[in-house]
Amino acid sequence: MSRAQRNRLEAGGLVDRSQVLDFSFDGKRYRGHAGDTLASALLANGVRLVGRSFKYHRPRGIFSAGAEEPSALVELRDGGRREPNTRATVAELYDGLEATSQNRWPSLGLDVLSMNRLVAPFLGAGFYYKTFMWPAKAWEKLYEPFIRRAAGLGRAAEGTDPDHYEKATTFCDVLVIGAGPAGLMAALAAGRTGARVILADEDFLPGGRLNAEVHEIGGQQGAAYAAHVAAELASLPNVRVMTRTTVFGVYDGGTYGALEKVNDHLRVPSPFQPRHRFWRIVARRAVLAAGATERPIVFGGNDRPGVMLAGAVGTYVQRFAVRPGRHVALFANNDAAWRGMLAAQAAGANVEAIVDVRGDVASVLTEAAKAKDIRVFTGARVIATHGKKLRTIDVASAERGHERLYIDTLAVSGGWSPAVHLTCHHGGRPVWNEAVAAFVPGATPPGLSVAGAANGSFALGAILKEGAQQGAEAAEALGFPVPPLDVPHTSEESTALQPFWHVADSKGAAFVDLQNDVTAKDVGIAHREGFRSVEHLKRYTTLGMATDQGRTSNVTGLAIMAELTGASIAETGTTIFRPPYTPVSLGALAGHHRGKDFRPVRLTPTHEWAAKLGAVFVETGPWLRAQYFPRKGEKDWLETVTREVKAVRSSVGLIDVSTFGKIDLQGPDVGTFLDRVYINTFSTLAVGKARYGVMLREDGMVMDDGTTARLAPEHYVMTTTTANAAKVYQHLEFCLQVLWPELDVSLASVSEHWAQIAIAGPVARTVLSRVVDKDVDVSDAALPFMGAIEGTVMGGVKARLFRLSFSGELGYEIAVPARQGAKLAQALMEAGHEYGITPYGTEALGVMRIEKGHVSGNELSGQTTAGDLGLGRMASPKKDYIGRVMAGRAGLIDPDRPSLVGFKPADRTKRLRAGAHFLGLGAPADMAHDEGYMTSVAYSPHLGHWIGLGLLKGGAKRVGDRVRAYDPVRGEEFELEVCAPGFIDPQGERLRG
Amino acid sequence: MADRSSHDPLAGIAFDRLPPAGAYGAPGEPGVVASTAEPFVALVLARPGKAASVVDRLHRAFSVALADRPHAAIEGNTTVIGTAPGRFLVLSRTDADLFGTLRAILGTDATVTEQSDGYVTFDVTGDRVSDVLAKGALIDLDPVAFHVGDAVTTVIAHIGVTLWRSGEKSWRVLVGRSYEASFTRFLIASAAEYGLRLENKGSEGRG
Amino acid sequence: MRIPCPYCGERDAHEFAYLGDATLTRPDPAAEDAEARFHDYVYLRDNPAGAHVEWWYHANGCRQWLKVERDTRTHAIAAARAAREADTPAGDAA
Repeated sequence: MSRAQRNRLEAGGLVDRSQVLDFSFDGKRYRGHAGDTLASALLANGVRLVGRSFKYHRPRGIFSAGAEEPSALVELRDGGRREPNTRATVAELYDGLEATSQNRWPSLGLDVLSMNRLVAPFLGAGFYYKTFMWPAKAWEKLYEPFIRRAAGLGRAAEGTDPDHYEKATTFCDVLVIGAGPAGLMAALAAGRTGARVILADEDFLPGGRLNAEVHEIGGQQGAAYAAHVAAELASLPNVRVMTRTTVFGVYDGGTYGALEKVNDHLRVPSPFQPRHRFWRIVARRAVLAAGATERPIVFGGNDRPGVMLAGAVGTYVQRFAVRPGRHVALFANNDAAWRGMLAAQAAGANVEAIVDVRGDVASVLTEAAKAKDIRVFTGARVIATHGKKLRTIDVASAERGHERLYIDTLAVSGGWSPAVHLTCHHGGRPVWNEAVAAFVPGATPPGLSVAGAANGSFALGAILKEGAQQGAEAAEALGFPVPPLDVPHTSEESTALQPFWHVADSKGAAFVDLQNDVTAKDVGIAHREGFRSVEHLKRYTTLGMATDQGRTSNVTGLAIMAELTGASIAETGTTIFRPPYTPVSLGALAGHHRGKDFRPVRLTPTHEWAAKLGAVFVETGPWLRAQYFPRKGEKDWLETVTREVKAVRSSVGLIDVSTFGKIDLQGPDVGTFLDRVYINTFSTLAVGKARYGVMLREDGMVMDDGTTARLAPEHYVMTTTTANAAKVYQHLEFCLQVLWPELDVSLASVSEHWAQIAIAGPVARTVLSRVVDKDVDVSDAALPFMGAIEGTVMGGVKARLFRLSFSGELGYEIAVPARQGAKLAQALMEAGHEYGITPYGTEALGVMRIEKGHVSGNELSGQTTAGDLGLGRMASPKKDYIGRVMAGRAGLIDPDRPSLVGFKPADRTKRLRAGAHFLGLGAPADMAHDEGYMTSVAYSPHLGHWIGLGLLKGGAKRVGDRVRAYDPVRGEEFELEVCAPGFIDPQGERLRG
Repeated sequence: MADRSSHDPLAGIAFDRLPPAGAYGAPGEPGVVASTAEPFVALVLARPGKAASVVDRLHRAFSVALADRPHAAIEGNTTVIGTAPGRFLVLSRTDADLFGTLRAILGTDATVTEQSDGYVTFDVTGDRVSDVLAKGALIDLDPVAFHVGDAVTTVIAHIGVTLWRSGEKSWRVLVGRSYEASFTRFLIASAAEYGLRLENKGSEGRG
Repeated sequence: MRIPCPYCGERDAHEFAYLGDATLTRPDPAAEDAEARFHDYVYLRDNPAGAHVEWWYHANGCRQWLKVERDTRTHAIAAARAAREADTPAGDAA
């Protein structure tokens, strides 16, 4: 049964009382209104205990009303949507919301681990480093499970997140971050110039403090004025107001990261809408108007549910029309907190006492308080609190001694810290401003200025003026004419404050960082043990870490450290803030690029054709290629691949090789150019011929290999390996644009335009002759081995025909325009039907190249020279080429370098494994005796046993030796015979047939 | 795919097949209509020092208002796109021998490479085109900044594209043939909230 | 980071591939001490905190190699010129 919202005020606030929203917390059902946050709705229902603390499992309540919340962390939703560590203070209430408390067992009210308080001495500052030092084994068995159970926050989601996420990029002239009074004025001033303006705010309602405090602006209520400005901004076509959008980071070149919570205010996202959207906002200028965060005063028992920031009390009363408690007191050091409390009193909160550390408070405030029967304690401090939820506080003052007050809500204010976070993202350090007792922005990222409370200006009149000015200046700097803007009048207000951090003589644990359970005593320990710099303090005590990143604790913590060291706060300095400002969902960073959409997939021209034939596909770089084509009854891939290889070797098979990079080179200097990028010579290649080429990197290692054909005197076509296609193209462009701009060579990638199908096997020519047009002669004389001609196939389809062989069989590659690729494959299938033509995949191709001793990606590892691969003799001594000089270094021509040889298992039944290392017979298995490793293995259908290629020390001269294959990963070790790397047809009779 | 729920606009669409023509995403009048076409395409690369002459010859041959900069010059059935200094993509709806035509026009001033099967174009029209493309591109697509006739060679959702604005609400995107399915998936995912009608003319029609 | 491509306009660094120091010149392979010079050319790099002239390849744009003057501390870019147009000594704008 839902209960009445007993703490909801009768009138006022910005909630819509006509819209009732049902929600539950820890299984109990409640009601709130549209416009509520989960925190305001819980308080409206009198729920004050919402969580247990991180280390000590102390009861905790709602401490703030914004993103700075350290305590009220809950789990929202369930299953794949479960979201731990959600700040109840920024979670917009929706109908059907289900929240649960965290870090408690068995229940929030009765938490047996709260006895952690008894072991608190062991969990103090630096406990990770001290308590759990030894023995090492105890980490796994004892310490870690204990810490996991006892300390921690929420549980991660189980299962796949069912929601959709997006990324998007947008551009603007002026980005305004924060839609409080300064941001609204900045956006208005910039927007009226006609500049493209984006105003982003994490809240769902623009206005910031204008919605949370009582002000009069130009004769209007503050909240009404905010709504008025927001409405004008919405009406301007050049202004985009992005609510529920947190700008979390400032990156280079005016790029800002922002997270839009598109659908977090609904139980499940609207159909077809993303849950979150990650924005890249590129802004020529930005105005940071992120406001300020109130900071507490630290005293014993300051963490009890019921102790709350004073501004939050004001926010709950004014914006949400909620009384946070029945009996309220204020503990403060500044005038603004008094004004907020008096306004809360006027709105219906029962404020009973105000305790101020200052002996001298403006009489206008003290008189106003007394007039409303509020007891005033000046020169006073709170020295203790009592109750699981706050019941009483003890106040001490010189004037009245000790007194116990029966109150359930204590509003605390120690002043305000400007939200300088984004100003630090380019390395800027905040600087201490004594006049306002706060860190204000230091150097800001280029193009970003700061206005309002974020800049240390706390009086509303100054904030409005500064916002308008910064907005206008940003637009003006970009050349937009600025019309005059009247800044509306507000009453003068005092911002008097006396810095005060810590009630040193208070009783009980005094928490500096509520989220990490760091106490004033921990700061003292860090000081005693020498961890005095702010960076050490943070890491030793964990102060300022986790989801709230110390928004309410950093300044207080370092102020206490400053008191201990005797240094000033300015000298002590502050830690720096890095992105993100608030947590960002990983889903939003990924967008739709998840699962198989992680990156784009490239499909070959024959993909559908292969799929219909039942192909199994494999990812090779961005491509999906047919790996093998299983048939019914085949028990595993090896049986399939063996059949495919046998078919090619005995008759004919075909494979799509379109994924190879294909580059057209045209111009008078192509021959010269190729001579400089390949180790061998291409300028002398005859028209109509192809040649295998190897190119090196400038350091002398092999970069890539492939065949290049000369189609006309000034027209060559190069093929690259699938994996290196983009890299080789980039390299060639570098050579042409940077190294040899005088060469007249045009490069064009034609990888996409041409489909290329290889057919191989003893009857390949017969099959080919049936698909080429009548006038195309593919006889051995007209198209000899390494021949390359242009012609037509299938009745007029332009084609390039190459007689090449990777498999070692008589082979051809036929290139046709990509949309004819599948048709060509089908035509070849029909032409070869009587020979049992067999489509094969990358596995069979791999088996055949290993049988033939050809190198591939496994051998082109970036650590092998042409000599290592047995290709050294290709290098022309008559010319220079990329990598020549460095390839001649002594270390790279050492005959003992590991180089390519073949391997057979001495026991022919053994299966070889790539990655196994070579050891001499009887040599110990250690790095000193390592002699290289196996790069590629295959079951050879031709030989009937496993074979391998590998890089062995001394290489070719060891043919006939025996070595051991040592594979500690799989626990295998056996003898190998070293042989020449060609296992089939070493004379190449088949491919010349 | 099994790990996608109904909240995912790509749920149930095979990742390695061309998604079929039809309506995707939000029901009702679609915010974006995308139709594929396969125009004849050739790449023109000016020889050193010949860019101005190439511009002039293309201008005279096709009456296109062309300059050596990134833009789309459209006249009748011919579109010429600047993609790099002295580098132009020529598209024709009708000229099956575009390669031969260009060779004749340009002589030795430029090399010409046939690319008709290398690309597919997506004609994307509707009120929300720039919003959809902005979910993949890192460039300023606001109609205020990206004018009719502007062209860019850039990347959308990790796919290299050349795109230009052919009219107030119509854009064309040139995508490598092997990326057609992936680019279509990007459109389906990104246009879901506005509704997408996909018209797939298949490999038969030339656009 | 955003790089002002002289042909395409300002683009996000995602579109580019980085190579490094653009002040190096490929040594004369016929020089007597070619190996030592190539060693320096291939392996030795300054790592300045401040102005740096470097090669960036506009892989997802016009495919031009650009000579970019970048401040390694701030990522501020002072100039970017196409390699083919950048035959004046690099750094003259710095």
